[in-house]
Amino acid sequence: MNARHPARATGLPSRRTFLADLGMGFTGLAMGAALARDGVARASAPGWTPPDGRPHFRPRAKSVIWLFMNGGVSHMESFDPKPMLNVHAGKTIAQTPFAHVQDPKRLAIERLVVPDANGNQRNTLYPLQVGYRRHGKAGIEVSDWFPHIGQQADRIAFVRSLWTTDSNHGAQTQFHSGRHQNDGDFPTLGAWVHYGLGSLNENLPQFISIGTREYWNKRDGHYLGPAHDAVPLRIDPANPLDFGRHEGTWSAEERRAGLDLARTLNGLRGVEYPEDPAIAARLASYDLAYRMQMSVPDVVDFSRESAETKALYGVDVPHCREMGRQLLAARRFVERGVRFIQIQHGGGGAGAWDAHSGLKSNHESLARAVDQPIGALLVDLERRGLLDETLVVFATEFGRTPGSQGSDGRDHHIFGFSVWMAGGGIRGGVVHGATDEIGFHAAEDRHYVTDIHATILHQLGLDSRRLEIPGRKRLEIDHGQPIQPILA
Amino acid sequence: MARDWQRFLLGLLGCLMTAQAAATGADAYLAVIQPLVRERCVSCHGALQQKAGLRLDTVAAMLRGGDSGPVVVPGNARSSILLRRVTTEDVADRMPPQHEGLPLDATQAEALRRWITAGASAPANEQPDPDPRDHWAFRPPARRAVPATVGAFGVIDALLEADRSAHGLRTRPEARRDVLVRRLYLDLVGLPPAADEWSAAMSDAAPDWYERLVDRLLSDPRHGERWARHWMDIWRYSDAWGLGDQLRNSQKHIHHWRDWIVESLNADVPYDEMIRLMLAADEMHPEDPGRLRATGYLARNYFLFNRNQWLDEAVEHVSKGFLGLTLNCAKCHDHKYDPFPQADYYRMRAFFEPYHVRVDVRPGEPDLARDGLPRAYDRDLDRPTFRFVRGNEGAPDTNKVILPGVPPLLARTPPSIQRVVLPARAHQPERNPWVLEAHVAAARERETKAGELLASETSADPLRRAVAQRRVDVARAEMESVVARAAAMRASWRDRDSGTTSPEAEVARVAAVKAERRLAAARAQLFVAEAEQRLAVAEASKKESVGKELESARKKAEEALDRCEAVVEANAQPALLPGAAWTPTRFLDSTKDDPDPGFPRESTGRRTALARWIASPDNPLTARVAVNHVWGRHFGVPLVPTVFDFGRKGIPPANQPLLDALAVEFMEQRWSLRHLHRVIVLSAAYRMESSVAGADVEMSRDPENRHLWRRVPLRMEAQGVRDSLLAHAGRIEAVMGGPVVPSDAQATSRRRSLYFQHSNNERNAFLATFDDATVKECYRRDTSIVPQQALALLNSRVVHDAVPDIARRIATRSGVEDDRRFVREAFVALLGFEPGAREMEASLQAMAAWRNASTSIGATANANADAASQRAREGLAWSLVNHTDFVTIR
Repeated sequence: MNARHPARATGLPSRRTFLADLGMGFTGLAMGAALARDGVARASAPGWTPPDGRPHFRPRAKSVIWLFMNGGVSHMESFDPKPMLNVHAGKTIAQTPFAHVQDPKRLAIERLVVPDANGNQRNTLYPLQVGYRRHGKAGIEVSDWFPHIGQQADRIAFVRSLWTTDSNHGAQTQFHSGRHQNDGDFPTLGAWVHYGLGSLNENLPQFISIGTREYWNKRDGHYLGPAHDAVPLRIDPANPLDFGRHEGTWSAEERRAGLDLARTLNGLRGVEYPEDPAIAARLASYDLAYRMQMSVPDVVDFSRESAETKALYGVDVPHCREMGRQLLAARRFVERGVRFIQIQHGGGGAGAWDAHSGLKSNHESLARAVDQPIGALLVDLERRGLLDETLVVFATEFGRTPGSQGSDGRDHHIFGFSVWMAGGGIRGGVVHGATDEIGFHAAEDRHYVTDIHATILHQLGLDSRRLEIPGRKRLEIDHGQPIQPILA
Repeated sequence: MARDWQRFLLGLLGCLMTAQAAATGADAYLAVIQPLVRERCVSCHGALQQKAGLRLDTVAAMLRGGDSGPVVVPGNARSSILLRRVTTEDVADRMPPQHEGLPLDATQAEALRRWITAGASAPANEQPDPDPRDHWAFRPPARRAVPATVGAFGVIDALLEADRSAHGLRTRPEARRDVLVRRLYLDLVGLPPAADEWSAAMSDAAPDWYERLVDRLLSDPRHGERWARHWMDIWRYSDAWGLGDQLRNSQKHIHHWRDWIVESLNADVPYDEMIRLMLAADEMHPEDPGRLRATGYLARNYFLFNRNQWLDEAVEHVSKGFLGLTLNCAKCHDHKYDPFPQADYYRMRAFFEPYHVRVDVRPGEPDLARDGLPRAYDRDLDRPTFRFVRGNEGAPDTNKVILPGVPPLLARTPPSIQRVVLPARAHQPERNPWVLEAHVAAARERETKAGELLASETSADPLRRAVAQRRVDVARAEMESVVARAAAMRASWRDRDSGTTSPEAEVARVAAVKAERRLAAARAQLFVAEAEQRLAVAEASKKESVGKELESARKKAEEALDRCEAVVEANAQPALLPGAAWTPTRFLDSTKDDPDPGFPRESTGRRTALARWIASPDNPLTARVAVNHVWGRHFGVPLVPTVFDFGRKGIPPANQPLLDALAVEFMEQRWSLRHLHRVIVLSAAYRMESSVAGADVEMSRDPENRHLWRRVPLRMEAQGVRDSLLAHAGRIEAVMGGPVVPSDAQATSRRRSLYFQHSNNERNAFLATFDDATVKECYRRDTSIVPQQALALLNSRVVHDAVPDIARRIATRSGVEDDRRFVREAFVALLGFEPGAREMEASLQAMAAWRNASTSIGATANANADAASQRAREGLAWSLVNHTDFVTIR
């Protein structure tokens, strides 16, 4: 049997597992937690061992900052500008040389959840609502709504050839889990990373969620277990964590006495039940809780950041204050060793970026809210020597239609859209993949969303196939393939 | 030296030989080839299926070959079809077929080539995969003979003992009484014993104190609340959720289903009957609202936008929850491990294809937004089911209609489906006597309220008084209209039922239509009065437009009054007072409701047939799956670890005779869950202690406790943690059932946690921290130990609200005069054991510290001393809440 985890069938870790867990902190506890997972009798599956928290091969990155724009960013007005839209503006697609993009066979990848007016064919080409210019040595086209990100083009690999299948906002969940909503619920990328890798800092949760997450599935772990859900975090030093603030009436000193007593009593209980690993695990969890309670508020307290840094992120500029603070916190978390920081931008309905109408004012103001902080994040990580080991991802659930919806909007578009990555062993200044001339289909080097997952896992030194759990067969498409050409 | 060299050389030779064998021989087959073939090939070429007449589960079978002859030619890789087919560049010809499995990579292909070239050696006595029909869980459970003397309650222990002695394991002794009492309370009713319950149990001198305590707890209504939550996990209880105010999933008022579960468990409704009711009460008991609540099980699957998602969930969880089958794996292709072709998935779906959800009016409340009974009914009686090619809902195979059916392997005779003719009250729910009564009563209440408002109107403003008067007129007209419509409906039913056309019915019809017109006129006159009032106070600039509104209102009022005088046309019908409403779907267009064809007079009978087949003693799975769930919750570890997969990919029970004996006993005792609980908790296995002190031999032989020689301590479930806090504080409300406690009321609520709003979107953060069930799927809870739990018990409001009362209640127990007695009582109450000397000492020290901390701040002597004592007791209570045993069932 498996020497490292000998007591799985009992649902409780044995002493040896437990002692190992003590040394492994959060991840160890999470794994100890996972022992009795839903219907997965890990002990009895021959030849299977749970992850030991070490990468499978040499990692290029330690941490991930995952920026997700809720609602669907227009690829054409961000990182894949299409001048042909201006040339043919006002014509129907059928009237242009690109009529073939609407070949029903090519549209058949769409899988509906909600029978609505969303994601329908929008036939009349809508001109670009913003100019664009070339940035960096490679002269990569980026729209003028994202000047700060544009300035970082030499650090970024733009992937312009993503596709997905859910034409409604269930695509948000799909982007994170790799599965269409009609297939059920599956662990998200962050949960897999948390499951697969050990902790970088015993005082901090390793998978953090910041920002708005109202439409898509609110959990991450699914069959990996709730211990692999992201820990929600607020950028508020007074109350950053659920249950992090004392709601009783005890002074710090009195609390210390209570904690000490509980620790003493639990220790004595451990003498009585030496083989109950839960006792020592619980002792460790109290230590971790205590340290977490001490460390987290400090991480989201910016008083010791320089004025220059704060200005860089725009934390005092009203329109980008929120994102600026979140990203500054993200850098501070990465600095202290947090694996996966998931930041969701743009609440309301299905996501703020969902510009069915008024795209110009919508995207212009949202871009103003995120562009400077994101540019700052890359600069700041680089100058602190952190960018090499930190993978920054900019993603959204789908693009928007080349055709107009109503007079001034764009609809959901699953057939081609853009994502970019920087740092963590990703090549900078490259464009990978392309959509066709009107931005309709991903035409060259097409990538389903799980190729992004595979790329990230690869940079973290993980092989998703080696993380599989008995009884939970994953499909080829769930694993995806690393996007090799953008790897440094 | 020489000998060392010799050993080294021999060792080296051995290594070389092993390496050579590993590369090409039978060892290579076992190490590389067989696992590879099993993973990629045998689901189509093995015991399950023999496509092209070929099996690949043994080397012998490969040599024997299939329709195109042998596929492996030993020593000749080039002539071996197997190698060619798995390595060809031609995708159409390559195995495994595209979409069905990953092609072999170069290393794997090379290993295969080398093995064949080296002679395709087979291991000795290689056995083919067993026939799937012989899989243990597909054969009926049988009670193995045990010594007659042991009786029903000894079966568990006799079977366990046989297993243990075969492995040289001695059982742990029975736990101390204090441990047992706490264990029984927390397990059977989900709450710790109260002070009087504790002392009664501890001082009961009768030899059968344990049995009597078990019986008392099993008949305690709190038992139903405790175990309902377990079944709610398995049956995926969820309150309604959506986006904003839009209902998208589950149903409003679904708590009626939860209440039915609690009540059914307390009434010991047989498990087979519970299954039948959940799946088909609308066909079996169409006029019984009490039982119709059970179909909340199906109503819960409602999904506003997408029928496929909805039915996929129904198929998946009926299969997993009741049968322990992963039929969902056959949605896109034939099941890879179990003998279920893809069609079986859609045959199962066909049972559910006709059903929809509606909400029936309940006595006393005609407004379905406020209350109602969500339930299933068959709506689309003839909607065909099609197989989706590769599971893609965009590619239905419309050439062939799939009829409802169950896997033939599991049914001696296919379930017979008979249409059910529904009684009138089922498809005309307004005929239920309470419906019209509820409408009339509500209308009367509105009239009374309007009268009260008028009476309390103190303004002297005649216009304002006129509006209040008009409101009374409307309420009265509405009441009269409701009464007249109710009378007309009753008269028309009498006519319809007797096949006559009576003058009374005609008179009632005319009266009802007229009453409705009078109501319309009263409303129109109210608008006039309101417009007059607005005009009186309007600014000069608005006078003109408000004046126009008034003019228009007056005109409409005149028309409405004229209408009252007009002759009632022969085809004019009063609006019916509804007795139910279909919960509309938006499958066709997300912006508007799909058309409603009304309630059919018949039901297909499909779900009845399915329910009878599932809830049958002939079904080899149903009782085993249920028994396994119950066992797992009593012991923390189920007998079959893969609780929702009893198929060939699942893990068989370590002690199948035990599982089977319990399943047979369960069925023979009319599927009584109470009996099953009793049999289990009365066993010596359940009563063992969880300490392993002195059991070194056992720990070394069976550290995983596979043979159940000891008990393992359990982490309390989320609901147990919060409910215990409230119970110790004496704050828990005994009231059972009813609407959910919404999120914003939970912080101060005293209800048991199972009544909290619980959906995909709404979950209580405290409960979630302790691994509360997820609503999408929760066949087994996690028992994690994470820092957030520590934070919750150290900091949260629910703890700090409870602690002062916990301390006070313990302090008022008899004999608690000093700290020492307090510590002792607090340990017993909160943790279930008496403190040892060192625990006592540490506790007293801490209490002294808290007392000093709080006296040093204070003012006057006596009151201050009392406060300081309370403070010190609270400190101890708070620390004990953070003791590992507070959340542990030993």
